[in-house]
Amino acid sequence: MLLNQFLILSAVLFSIGVYGVLTRRNGVMVLMSIELILNSVNINLVAFAAFREAIPGEVFALFVIAVAAAEVGVGLAMVLLLYRNRRNIDLAGIDSMKG
Amino acid sequence: MSTNLLIVAFERPAIDWHAVAPEIVLLSVGVLITLLDILFLEKARPYMAALSGLGILATAIPLLTLGIDGTERVLFDGAYVVDNFSLVLKAIFLLAGYVVILLSTNYIVDGDYWESEYYGLLLASLMGMIMMASSRDLISVFVALELLSIPAYLMVAWRKRDPKSNEAGLKYYLMGVFASAVMLYGMSLLFGVSGTTVLSEIADSIDAGNGSSSVMTLGIVFVVAGFAFKVSAVPFHTWAPDVYEGAPTPVTAFLSVASKAAGFVALLALIFVGFYELSNIWEPLIWILAALSMTVGNLVALRQTNIVRLMAYSGVAQTGFMIAPLAVAGHSLSTGNQALSAIVTYLAIYAAMNLGAFAVIITLARRTGSAEIDSFSGAFHFAPGLTVAMTIFLFSLAGIPPLGGWFAKFEVFRVLATSGETWGYLLAVVAAINSVIALFYYATIARKMWADDPSEKDLNNIEVTPSLVSALAICVLVTLLFGIFPQLVARFTEVSLLAFGV
Amino acid sequence: MTGFFLSQIQGLDPLTSDEVLVAQNVFFALIALVMILAALKMVTTENIVHAALYLVIVLAGAAGMFILLGAEFVAVTQILVYIGAIIVLFLFGIMLTKGSFGTEEGELRERNRMAVLVAVLIVAVTSGSFIDSFRDAELNRQAPSTTADIGDSIFGQFIIPFEAISVLLLAALIGSVVIARRDQ
Repeated sequence: MLLNQFLILSAVLFSIGVYGVLTRRNGVMVLMSIELILNSVNINLVAFAAFREAIPGEVFALFVIAVAAAEVGVGLAMVLLLYRNRRNIDLAGIDSMKG
Repeated sequence: MSTNLLIVAFERPAIDWHAVAPEIVLLSVGVLITLLDILFLEKARPYMAALSGLGILATAIPLLTLGIDGTERVLFDGAYVVDNFSLVLKAIFLLAGYVVILLSTNYIVDGDYWESEYYGLLLASLMGMIMMASSRDLISVFVALELLSIPAYLMVAWRKRDPKSNEAGLKYYLMGVFASAVMLYGMSLLFGVSGTTVLSEIADSIDAGNGSSSVMTLGIVFVVAGFAFKVSAVPFHTWAPDVYEGAPTPVTAFLSVASKAAGFVALLALIFVGFYELSNIWEPLIWILAALSMTVGNLVALRQTNIVRLMAYSGVAQTGFMIAPLAVAGHSLSTGNQALSAIVTYLAIYAAMNLGAFAVIITLARRTGSAEIDSFSGAFHFAPGLTVAMTIFLFSLAGIPPLGGWFAKFEVFRVLATSGETWGYLLAVVAAINSVIALFYYATIARKMWADDPSEKDLNNIEVTPSLVSALAICVLVTLLFGIFPQLVARFTEVSLLAFGV
Repeated sequence: MTGFFLSQIQGLDPLTSDEVLVAQNVFFALIALVMILAALKMVTTENIVHAALYLVIVLAGAAGMFILLGAEFVAVTQILVYIGAIIVLFLFGIMLTKGSFGTEEGELRERNRMAVLVAVLIVAVTSGSFIDSFRDAELNRQAPSTTADIGDSIFGQFIIPFEAISVLLLAALIGSVVIARRDQ
C-alpha cells in the first residue's frame, strides 16, 4: 500500500469537512463536519505513524479522540442551552451583536 | 500466529518533581475546590474566590524556587521544558489569573452564577496555560491548548439567562474547535514530515533536509492559521468582538489577556524551537498578519460606540504590534532573541494595562449599567480615582511615555528598525501610522471621561470593592513600574529559546 | 487485519505475500469509496438524523483504515469512543433540540459556490503537495503495533498530556452540567 492513498483520502475528507463547516447553518451539523476534519487528522496521523514506524503518531490520534469527546460534550451542552433560550439552533439567527 | 505472552517491563519515566511542582499545586487547589463544593455545597461558596486566589499565590511559591534555582530542566527528551522563558510566562499567567479572580469576585456573586464551578474552570484553564508555557512537543501543545480553551468556551456562556452570552459561547466554541481542527491537520503534517512530535527533533529533521518538503510548508501554514485565531489576528479575528461583548466581563478580560498570551507562547515555541530555520515560510505569513491586524483593528475600533467592542478591536490591533517583531525574527539569531524578548516584554505589560482597563470598565459599568462609551461621560465627577486609573491604562495602551506601554512599543520598533530588512522598516512605518490612529480613539475615551458632562443623575462617588481596588493597584503599579524603570522588566524578559548555535 | 485473516485461511505470510497486499488494496478502495460517499451525503443531507448516521459510516470506515494500517488499538478506541459515545451524544443532542429536527433552510447558493471552490482548492493543494513529497513511498509491511508499546509511550513520554486530559475531561464534564442544566 502506498502512503499517499491514505493521505489523499484524508485530504478529501478534510476538504469535505471544511465545506460542511462553511455551508451548514445548523450548530450540530457544523460540529459533525468538524468531526470529519478530526477524523481526517487521525487518518493522517496513523498513516504517518505506520510510515515512520513512530508510535507517537498513534498516541497523538488517541489524544485527539479523547479531546474530541470532551469537545462534543461541551458543544452539545451549549446547543441545548441556546435551544432552551431561543427554540432553535440556526446559526443564521445568531446575530444580535453587530459592529 | 502463536499466542506469545508479551512481558514488557514498563520503565517508570524519570520525573523531575520540582519542575512540575507549580502544575501539581494548581491541580491540587482545583481538586480541593471541586471536593469542597461537593461536600459543603452552598456553605462553601463564599470562600471559593479567596481559596482560588490563595491557590494561585501558593502556585507562585514553587515558581519562585524554580526561578532562584535557575537551572534549565528538560523532561521527557525535550517534550517538557522549564527554562527562563517558561517561568516568566507562567508568572505572567498566574498574575493575570489572580487579577481576573479579583475582578470576578463581586461580578459572579451579584449575578448569582455558579461560583465554585466558575473558579474550578478558571483554574483548569489557567493550568492549561501554565502547561503551555513549558510544552515543547506537538501533543503537549495540543492538549494544553484544549485544556485552556474548553473551560474558556464554557465560561463565555456562563451568564446562562442572557442570550448574548449564549450566542457568544456557541460562536466562540464553534470557531475555536474549527480552528483547532485546522491546526491539528497542520500538526499531523509536521509529524508526517519529521516523524516526531518533539519540537527540537522537528528542528533536527529540518536541518537534515526535510524542510524543503512542500508538506512542511502546508503544515506550517495550517498551524500558524490555527494560532492566529487564538491570538485574534486579522483575518481570524471575527469572533473577538462578539465574544468579548457577550461574555461576562471578567471572562472577557481573561480571554483578552491570558488566552491571547497562551496562543503567543505556543506560537513562539513552535516557531523558535520547531521551525526557526524555515523563516522564508513563516516570516511573510506573520508580516501579513501583523500589518492587517494593526490596520484593520485600529480602523474598525475608531467607529465603535461600545467600550467592550472597542477594547476587542484595540486588542486585535495590539496583537498586530505584538506579533510584528516575529516578522523579522528569522533574520539572524540575535534579531531572533531580541524579537523574543520584545514579545515577552509586550505580553507582560499588555497584561497589566489591559486587565487594568477592564477592571475600570467593570466597576463603571456596574454603576452606569451600560458599556456604551457615552455612559462613561464625565466619569471624573463621580469616580475621580477610576478616571485617573483609566487614563493611565489608556495612555499606556496608546504608548505614551513614561508608561509601560511606551516601553513595550519602543522595543517592538527597535527590533523592526535594527533588523536591517526592508520589510522590517516597512512594518515599522505601518506600526507608526497605527500608533497615531490608536492614540486618537484612546484619547477620545479619556477626554469624554474628564471633560464631558455626566449623563448620570447620581453624582455620589462610586463605591469600589476592596478586591477591585487591589486589582487596580496591581495593574497601575505594574504599568507605571515598567514604564519608569524599563531595565527592570528587561532583566526579567531577557529570555531565549534559540539554544542552537549561540 | 484483513491480510491476517487471509493468511490464516490460505496459509500465507501476511508480511510478504502478494495476495495479502492485493486484498489490502481492494479493501482500501472499497472502504475509501464508501467513506467519501458517506461524507459527501453527510454534509449535503437535509435531515440531521441521517447526517449522524452517515457520520457513523465515515467513522467506521476510519476504523477500518486504522486496522489496515496496523493500528489496532486506535481502531478499537475509534469504535468504542467515537461510534459508541460521541455519536450517541450527537443523537441525544438532536433529540433534545427537536425544534431543529428535520430540514434546515436558508442555505445560500452564493456561499455554496464559494465553499465548493475552497474545498476543491484544499484538495488540489494538499494532494498536490503529498504527491510531490511522498510520490510512491510504500508503507512498510510490518506486524501491527502492540498495545503495550502505546501504553509505554502514553505513560512514559506523554504522561503530562495524559494527566492534563483527565483534568480537561473533568472540567468539560462539570462545565457542561452547569451549562446544560435547567436553573430553577
